[in-house]
Amino acid sequence: MICDFTIREIIAALFVLGGSVFFVGSAIGMLRLPDFYTRIHASGNSETLGCMLSFIGLMIYEGPTITALKMAIVFTIVFLANPIGSHILGKAAYKSGHKVLTAKDLEKEEDEDADIHH
Amino acid sequence: MGKQESLENAKIVGSPLVHNVCLFILLFAFWMALVGTLKTKFIVYGLITAGVTVWLCYPLLLVPNKDGSKKYFVFGVPIFKFISYSVWLMWQLVLANIDVLKATTSQNLDIDPKVVRFYFKVDNPMAYVVLANSITLTPGTVTLNVSDDGLFEIHALTVGAAEGVLDGSFQKKVADLYGEAYEFSVVEEEE
Repeated sequence: MICDFTIREIIAALFVLGGSVFFVGSAIGMLRLPDFYTRIHASGNSETLGCMLSFIGLMIYEGPTITALKMAIVFTIVFLANPIGSHILGKAAYKSGHKVLTAKDLEKEEDEDADIHH
Repeated sequence: MGKQESLENAKIVGSPLVHNVCLFILLFAFWMALVGTLKTKFIVYGLITAGVTVWLCYPLLLVPNKDGSKKYFVFGVPIFKFISYSVWLMWQLVLANIDVLKATTSQNLDIDPKVVRFYFKVDNPMAYVVLANSITLTPGTVTLNVSDDGLFEIHALTVGAAEGVLDGSFQKKVADLYGEAYEFSVVEEEE
């Protein structure tokens, strides 16, 4: 009996799956991006749409109960609190004079890497 | 000392009674959602705690504007406008997320990180908070600093993200939300 799911469970699973795609994308971004500021963006990827889709999936799975309402509250608090964390990290780095990498610096680094390897 | 006095004389925008009632309803609804039952005992506790919290917190939730002539209530937003703004922001989030996901997973990292700057001036200090938080919440843009004279410094990851911040739609939406006149100007990069 493989197909013993209700439609609601399948929709919920699809939402959670969609959310996890963004979580994975966020992890990939964390590893691939070059400097501190750009990595904050990668974390933002998971905390917004990843979180949102996962919570919507869980709320659909749970149905119209008080638990689903509590999930909505948690999700709202995540949305209010997360940008503050990102902003404080970014602000601390910026105020302490951490250098912002630009596209030019990235090209330069690539050239230097190429020189070393060949 | 003089500033302190002027803050006490500052005019509160809107009616304090409406603010108190709105805050009370918000807190009581939150309490009821957490309790999850309709027993009389919990309703009475909820009414008392919500009332005490409103009494203690209302003065803390008034933010003065820059010249100290007016005080704004933190949650003083028209609710339907706020909901429509949230829906619009959600849609922007979806678009920006897909943009960032494409950029970070593309073959040769399709990114153009840089700091963009713009001036945004309104009277209501909460508009700055909402704008800065909305920009940070959107993937691809992080607010690094907001100075007292309204200079926003934003770190943008992709070309699309930088354009999205600088085209002024965000600023217009936030100013509309608070129903205020605003000034917006982009600071060109010097190089």
